Amino acid sequence: MKQNKALYFVPYTFWLILFVIAPILLIIYQSFFNIHDDFTLENYQTYFQSGTYLKMTLNSFWYAFLITLFTLLISYPTAYLLTKTKHKQLWLLLIILPTWINLLLKAYAFIGIFSMNGTANQFLSFMGIAPQQILFTDASFLFVATYIEIPFMILPIYNALEELNPSLISASYDLGANSWQTFRRVVFPLSLTGVKSGVQAVFIPSLSLFMLTRLIGGNRVITLGTAIEQHFLVTENWGMGSTIGVFLIIAMVLTMLLTGEKKKKGAIR
Amino acid sequence: MGQKKFKWSNLYLIFVFIVLYLPILYLIFYSFNEGGTMNSFTGFTWEYYQAVFADKRLISIVLNTLLVALLSSLLATIIGTLGAIGIHYVKKRQTRNTLMSFNNVLMVSPDVIIGASFLIMFTFVGFKLGFASVLLSHIAFSIPIVVLMVLPKLQEMNPSMITAARDLGANNLQVLSKIILPSITPGILAGYFMAFTYSLDDFAVTFFVTGNGFSTLSVEIYSRARQGVSLEINALSAIMFLFALILVVGYYFIQQYNMTKKQKSRERERAKVVDLL
Amino acid sequence: MTGNAIIEFNHVKKQYDDNVILKDIDLEIERGKFYTLLGPSGCGKTTILNLVAGFTEATEGTITLNGKKVNDIPPNQRTVNTVFQDYALFPHMNVFENVAFGLRIKKMNKNVIKEKVAEVLKMVQLSGYEERGISEMSGGQRQRVAIARALVNEPDVLLLDEPLSALDLKLRTDMQYELRELQQRLGITFIFVTHDQEEALAMSDIIFVMKEGEIVQSGTPVDIYDEPINRYVADFIGESNIVKGTMIQDYEVSFVGHTFECVDAGMRPNEKVEVVLRPEDLVLTSVEKGKLTVQVDTQLFRGVHYEIIGYDRDGNEWMVHSTKKAKVGSEVGLYFEPEDIHVMRFGESEQEFDARLESYEEE
Repeated sequence: MKQNKALYFVPYTFWLILFVIAPILLIIYQSFFNIHDDFTLENYQTYFQSGTYLKMTLNSFWYAFLITLFTLLISYPTAYLLTKTKHKQLWLLLIILPTWINLLLKAYAFIGIFSMNGTANQFLSFMGIAPQQILFTDASFLFVATYIEIPFMILPIYNALEELNPSLISASYDLGANSWQTFRRVVFPLSLTGVKSGVQAVFIPSLSLFMLTRLIGGNRVITLGTAIEQHFLVTENWGMGSTIGVFLIIAMVLTMLLTGEKKKKGAIR
Repeated sequence: MGQKKFKWSNLYLIFVFIVLYLPILYLIFYSFNEGGTMNSFTGFTWEYYQAVFADKRLISIVLNTLLVALLSSLLATIIGTLGAIGIHYVKKRQTRNTLMSFNNVLMVSPDVIIGASFLIMFTFVGFKLGFASVLLSHIAFSIPIVVLMVLPKLQEMNPSMITAARDLGANNLQVLSKIILPSITPGILAGYFMAFTYSLDDFAVTFFVTGNGFSTLSVEIYSRARQGVSLEINALSAIMFLFALILVVGYYFIQQYNMTKKQKSRERERAKVVDLL
Repeated sequence: MTGNAIIEFNHVKKQYDDNVILKDIDLEIERGKFYTLLGPSGCGKTTILNLVAGFTEATEGTITLNGKKVNDIPPNQRTVNTVFQDYALFPHMNVFENVAFGLRIKKMNKNVIKEKVAEVLKMVQLSGYEERGISEMSGGQRQRVAIARALVNEPDVLLLDEPLSALDLKLRTDMQYELRELQQRLGITFIFVTHDQEEALAMSDIIFVMKEGEIVQSGTPVDIYDEPINRYVADFIGESNIVKGTMIQDYEVSFVGHTFECVDAGMRPNEKVEVVLRPEDLVLTSVEKGKLTVQVDTQLFRGVHYEIIGYDRDGNEWMVHSTKKAKVGSEVGLYFEPEDIHVMRFGESEQEFDARLESYEEE
């Protein structure tokens, strides 16, 4: 009977070892090799001393922060208003639907919209402003990245708001709070778990976007992700790529710790 | 006053929805553009749709993509479901939590890290890049989502059901096939569905491990888009959008149907209570 | 209308679409008393509470609080507070912050808040629990926090929506005493909603018995128990034997083939009525001494008494609560006093009922 149960576990354990543990160890291992396959700390030295890598890391964090912030600012009210609509399920599906469209296609659409003769510029000239270079700017990169991440922020916030016990809101009104006080003191604090998982779901991928930086950002924005892709697939300097990867993993772990669910004593079951 | 406020909030929602859908509708609109560009619409044509269906390379890539998605999600569902059952029956809390943390590593890792580390691994063991490496990678990153979908259903399951089945003489295999699997089926289906969409959607991981000979739709679109606008891609995205729409609408109506059934039975119960008075 | 009324409902009606929840409710709540709305689920008792609190709006009619019409006043501006069925304690705040919530909204001085919270926590016997999280509290303790959180605002009326239903039996009985004692000590009006008739009888000054959106009968627990207006009330409150009968004339009623002296009057001669006899009013005796003869069918030991079911010659079922045992299958006599017979007219409204009682009780 015991053996039988262990049998279920064999393929899963194989997966755990081969595709979870081994790759992480390998990426750390690889980071100690320079381009000539020598075992060395050279990559880490370069990372800290050259300045470009540190600047790129900071840049990457800054952009990821901006993307997360804009996404949050747009998504929170949307999620909040969604919980107030009739036919919530339908609206929610409409939010999810765009995430089923391949990311590449959406990015591709913006190439058309933001191009020199594209819709955005046509609209600007209609308003009496001369056509601008929109594509391949930081702003266009931020816009498209925010656009793509919005549904991933809305969903967790919406779920957190939906789980909120409606009698808590009644209780707040009953105790004399008006709508704003109820929102600030009851609704918002209780939806923070959703905000946190939304931030998690947006911030980490934003650090590593590389496809958008190329298609929309026109290589002006270099994120950690772009650098890794560059080192692995273009310059074939896997060691340096892995070193950046190690820092990306560290950044990911830090983000998880910061936004992670602290086992709070007050949490209700 | 209250009514006015309500209208403003609706306006905001509508604005967000327009922004979300505008690019997609924009793509579809220009897929019918005779002019061949994505800015000035000169006339209606089916030309690009015909081109999509005539493009043998594109068709074979679409089929490849679907094949990878179907196979990887099926295998990931099997491995993931068995893994979830295994995790569920781990007695020690500590071990279970550790297992779950490892399970979730691939859920939170950025695509680039997954792609790069898989690339290192495949090269390390001397595995040839191509269909097999893509398939294995897709299975690998789909397993954790299946586990996450199945595990709650296992936890919801009433444990005395299994004791009862044992008591009635069922052996391990019968318990698994007659009790456990039927009660977690919704979780398994959801897991399969999610794995399928993950696979269809993936670009970054595939991009790293695909090598030269093999391509999926995402990778193909990326390389075409880097060369500029081609309305064939627009036509393709219109078809894919339609496909997604049908799935979503179908899903919605199935859900609505299930819900009304539930509501109806609840109403019947209420009527019974009233009758009793 | 007495000057002591704190809440009045005037022809209040509530409906959602075509679904009528409350039909034409008139009621008056006096200051400082313990009221109970009693009825099965779906009878509209919680809706009345929500109307008082302001969580729902009346479709028709007026509701006054302290003599002022409050139909359009939002809940946060009403001087009533609620203890919710699931307590609705804020999970992200500790006990102190939960209780202080209403005071903080009023922007009271910090020291005053501290003082008041300490005082009210002491009242519900939770001193020293200020820093605890809500999830660390037991069901009974959460209940007390919810009561403290409402009471600290010094409301004119405290509304309690089935607050004891989640507690186990022992704790529930304890809380019944405590709530009753608290209400008498504070002198605040309590409106308590429950479907548990024992709870209602034990705690209330006045009970409103409700059925399908209407108040069927209101009165003190003793009045309602002793003079149920109809079969529904008699059945809902306590156990009862109900048989068909005829009112021969004032103070004389006939049922199961005999005529008995009774204490009811004010009906038409030979009017068809229903007669209620409570199981605990029936005394087991010999066939000769009994006013009724039944054959014992089953007997259950209930702890404080035996519950005996017997049938008379017409086939009517009689339930008797007796401290003495009977022999199953034997014939026994049942004895009762004239005042144990409660006569109910068919379709009599509460107003008619009250008027009739007054007419002959004054004589």
